[in-house]
Amino acid sequence: MEPEAAARPWPTGLRELDRLLGGGFPRGRLSEITGPVCGGRTSLGHALLARATAAGEVAALVEVADAFDPGSAHAAGTRLERVLWVRAPERRAALRSVEHLLLANGFGLVLLDLAGEAPARTARPRPRDARRGHLERTPAVWPRLRKAARAAGTALVVLGDRRCVGACADLAVETGTLRPRFTGTPPLLEGLEGEVHIVRNRLGPQLSRVPVRWPKPSGLRSPSARCARPAGACMRRCS
Amino acid sequence: MAGSRIACLLVPDLPLAAALRAQPELAEQAVAIATGPGPRAEILSVSPEAARRGVRPFTTTVQARAACAELRVRVASPSLERAARAALLDVALSASPRVEAAPPSAGLYAAEAVVFLDATGTGSLFRSEAGLAAALEARATRLGLPPVVAIAGSRPTAHIAARKLARGKPARDSVRARSDGARQAGRRSGVQKGRNPARQATQARKEDKQLRDEDTPPASDPRPNVEIVHQDAAYLAPLPIDLLDPAPPLAEALTRFGIRRIGELARLPRSALLTRLGAGARELLDLARGASRPPLPAAPASTRCEEALDLEHPLEHLEPLAFVLRGLLSRLGERLACRGLGCGDLDLRLALDGGGRDARRVGVAAPTGDVRVLLRLLCLSLEARPPGAAIEGVALATEGRPLRADQLDLFRPAGPAPALLARTVAELEALCGPGRVGAPALADSHRPDAWAVAAFAPASVAPVEPRRPGAGELSLRALRPPVAAEVRVVAGRPVSLRSAVANGRVTAVSGPWRSTGAWWSAEERFALDHFDVWTSDGTLCRLRLDRIGGRWEIDAVYD
Repeated sequence: MEPEAAARPWPTGLRELDRLLGGGFPRGRLSEITGPVCGGRTSLGHALLARATAAGEVAALVEVADAFDPGSAHAAGTRLERVLWVRAPERRAALRSVEHLLLANGFGLVLLDLAGEAPARTARPRPRDARRGHLERTPAVWPRLRKAARAAGTALVVLGDRRCVGACADLAVETGTLRPRFTGTPPLLEGLEGEVHIVRNRLGPQLSRVPVRWPKPSGLRSPSARCARPAGACMRRCS
Repeated sequence: MAGSRIACLLVPDLPLAAALRAQPELAEQAVAIATGPGPRAEILSVSPEAARRGVRPFTTTVQARAACAELRVRVASPSLERAARAALLDVALSASPRVEAAPPSAGLYAAEAVVFLDATGTGSLFRSEAGLAAALEARATRLGLPPVVAIAGSRPTAHIAARKLARGKPARDSVRARSDGARQAGRRSGVQKGRNPARQATQARKEDKQLRDEDTPPASDPRPNVEIVHQDAAYLAPLPIDLLDPAPPLAEALTRFGIRRIGELARLPRSALLTRLGAGARELLDLARGASRPPLPAAPASTRCEEALDLEHPLEHLEPLAFVLRGLLSRLGERLACRGLGCGDLDLRLALDGGGRDARRVGVAAPTGDVRVLLRLLCLSLEARPPGAAIEGVALATEGRPLRADQLDLFRPAGPAPALLARTVAELEALCGPGRVGAPALADSHRPDAWAVAAFAPASVAPVEPRRPGAGELSLRALRPPVAAEVRVVAGRPVSLRSAVANGRVTAVSGPWRSTGAWWSAEERFALDHFDVWTSDGTLCRLRLDRIGGRWEIDAVYD
């Protein structure tokens, strides 16, 4: 691969956001996507997975909450056979898994999904972090992962409810609360609308707000009244 | 077969070699292999260091310990010997597809392990026959089985040449052969009734020494464990007849006839010899003449490898068992690596105290030879389901699977190196648990929340254009298991709900979307009504009514 291609960032598919980020989420860097539930962070993560796998790269998704929906990712354009899905039982295993993946040295994108993680009972945030609203449970790991991502040339993206990477993040993006769009009679869900806030960007402009729109993909239809018998086995011919 | 070449791999003292293979740290120590654990057990074979300190085979363990106080006595293990024979076969298979393991002999050479392989045409792979022999020797030594290698025109000649080498080899395995030779001295040297026994013994010793001196390769030989034979008949003629391992009555009769060398036997007329010595002499004569046998069979299609160990003391804890498993995995991995294979799913069989058995299969996500990863998988399985009693024996088997080839493309992104990827996947599975690592897949089902995990083996593919450039798409975040919800329903539509995920008044709702299926199965049937619900607390979720159970649940949120 030519050097320029290796350094090319992963676009999100959102034109305005990609323009402000200089093409997308940078490779060889540690980035962070945070936001509340229904804020569009999973959609942003799936968009990155879809772009990376469409480019013929191998991507990895490490998650703790077991929340990945393959049907939804497939509908968003992800080539599932090129995604290594790791369902870690807890946060520490997830972080170690990410380290192993970065050392394997060939993944274009590693998405670490810490959103929806159950809060740890034993770990308590330091008072300084609590003032900042951070939950810094494993602070030493982020510089190490950032270094490994840089060595591997892999875009490492951490997805969470709140910021946890801190100063190690080269790029931090926050999604705001979005508004759904229901249209027609009877009403149908068309998608979500809202904005994305770039809160930290070492490689370009920051503190920018970008309006985004997430339409519901055609492949992600709500389940319709269909029989689930094996093909050809249904006497009612409803499939 | 005209022009055929046969190589013979021979390990002269298999019990000792198998024990040292399992415990390589004993290699430089005084070691003896006994028939059993008791003090009266007979010593079968001894290491060079033990022989130097005066320990001799065919004594009892007590006598051996009296000769050498630091002697390490190990009980001969059929499991270890079986695995060592299989390992030797693996070495042969790494060089030729046509191999055969010789059946264990019952006579003077009962302790040897022999494997033949077809060396015809292997010159293009190894440059020369000497190169092939050196490669075989190196590979077998790497597996802990230092062999002698002989290449000749026929199986008997190669076998005899290997035996001659083993006899002349000043290594640990020659100790037993020499001792056996001394034991059988009377038989070989023609002890006859009515003659002076002391004189006979002296004569026999002289003759044995003369023959041994002739057999021993010169010290300047660069590869003392390799013999290449080009003229079979000329090579065999001067060799002593006991290399053919004749039965005792036959050996005695030949000695009476004054026949001491193979060439002398080969020159005898067949019919006259058979008339005098019976049918048993036929095979001996064929061996002496280096008669060709049926061609070697093709290699077995199975790539299954097994390593086993009978423990001298039962193990009750996982830690010492992990130590034993590490050794087994290491030997298994070396055997598979010798054939260019990786380790597939592991079959672990434990013999338990009291006669019980524990058998389990441990899945390996991708073929790998990384002992640390495989050991971790085994330990996870044992921790999850501990065996019911102390462990007396361990057997570990696996099916060798080819490692993924690495084919790079100039115009496509290079993914992770296959070997590294396989190791990483296996390591992740050891870390996260079985079945938790793989490629997500769409399940062949109409059930809305159905999904599957497939083996992760990404092929190199060409890039494709994104489906909708310039726009993102909404995704779902699954809740596993679904979160129960209390829902107030008016006219069949939810108007408010309370749950751990979303609470409040329903601001907008879309649905219901009904899905039914598997109605023929009482356990799997489902009938679900799905709603897209936007609640007053700002949550957009997928609510469902399980019509069979009558429950409201939230199975996903839009995020």
